[in-house]
Amino acid sequence: MGFQLHRPDSVGAAIALARELGPEARYLAGGTDLIIQINRKRCAPGPLIALDRIAGLSGVAAGDGVIAIEAMTTLKTIERHPAFAGPLGALAEAARVVGGHQIRNVATIGGNIVNASPAADLVPVLLALDAEVELAGPAGARRLPLGHFLRGPGVTAREPGEVLLRVAFARSPAQTATAFIKAGRRRAMEISLVCIAAFLALDGEDRCLEARIALGAVGPTAWRATRAEELLRGGEASMAAFRAAGAAAAADCAPIDDVRASVEYRRRLVAALVPRALQHCRQRIAGGR
Amino acid sequence: MSRISLRLRVNSDRYDALVEPHWTLLQVLRGPLGLTGTKENCLEAECGVCTVLLDGRAVNSCILLAALCEDRDILTVEGLGRPGKLHPLQQAFIDHGAAQCGYCTPGMLLTAKSYLDEHKGVVPDPDAVREAIAGTLCRCTGYQKIVEAIRAAAAALKEEP
Repeated sequence: MGFQLHRPDSVGAAIALARELGPEARYLAGGTDLIIQINRKRCAPGPLIALDRIAGLSGVAAGDGVIAIEAMTTLKTIERHPAFAGPLGALAEAARVVGGHQIRNVATIGGNIVNASPAADLVPVLLALDAEVELAGPAGARRLPLGHFLRGPGVTAREPGEVLLRVAFARSPAQTATAFIKAGRRRAMEISLVCIAAFLALDGEDRCLEARIALGAVGPTAWRATRAEELLRGGEASMAAFRAAGAAAAADCAPIDDVRASVEYRRRLVAALVPRALQHCRQRIAGGR
Repeated sequence: MSRISLRLRVNSDRYDALVEPHWTLLQVLRGPLGLTGTKENCLEAECGVCTVLLDGRAVNSCILLAALCEDRDILTVEGLGRPGKLHPLQQAFIDHGAAQCGYCTPGMLLTAKSYLDEHKGVVPDPDAVREAIAGTLCRCTGYQKIVEAIRAAAAALKEEP
């Protein structure tokens, strides 16, 4: 092993370096996955372009209508940020269960997205928030929905030389809440067997104005359970309706058998945890009234 | 591959080292710097025995490139206390028998320090301590004595002027 390490101080310089160094070069964020893969010799150690010196690539900008999280923001920052204490609490809930403190002090939201693990914990929350990603590359900047960015396990729509700048989503209005639930054998240092994020908006009579459900680790990418969502929209926010949504999500998911859990077990988790996440949302909305 | 010259600040001491760009902080600490208190085990950030503090925050030194640590404050177990003036955490680990084989102890001490520094003046409940040290594994003690020691150290630190 052995590689060159570059530390540009601007996004423009990073993109220019990526162009010059060619397809072997990789961007380095927190490195909590990439450095392990290099140590295991599972990925060729081409030149690395560290993004840590670029000013402005870290932090949370909570504007009037939109919240933007810069790509190099650590999971610890998200876990502790006041913007994610209320209706957007699922983001802090998801950040808090990644690895241990040592990982969260270093790992970034950008890395969690670009790495495109089907089990990435923050990704379902961002999908449930209808988030968009913003990229910059040799051909300029662009934005696209996170759901279009994720293509498969470890595969994204990122073009050569493109760097993820930030992820953004609308601030939640009143009468909404989010929830995140992760199933694993222990609470820390665990890859999710299933992870579930829900966003719920209710009217004054407990009817669902909007429901968004996203699932991780039960398909090639994290995905939105749109059929389950449609079952809920316009209907009563009842436990029976939540269970029906859970059954639909369980029927539509595509988990794999692996050392951590079987297909059948993962489906049962989806059927049980989708209603629980929705119920958490409903209770949180009621608590905030 | 050509080596690069690196300026590191460890335990308030300055070190200059010639390192390969791909060397981790753990490799540099234990190799050229000779600071072998920080232990090496899984090399995958799973076990936490290599934990050091970087600008006061606990990190796994086994997956952190040393070259990214230039001009930052690194604290290892060698800088935590010294003979005759142990850190309250070290004293509490001795008093409570919180070390058995000792291999996780340096990482455990620094994991705990990072948590206590962040929650000054508070004696955490046992569940909070267990959550705080979740990223650092001990295969000997069953954690009970470690949790007790960390709470005792928090109480001792609270009494300090």
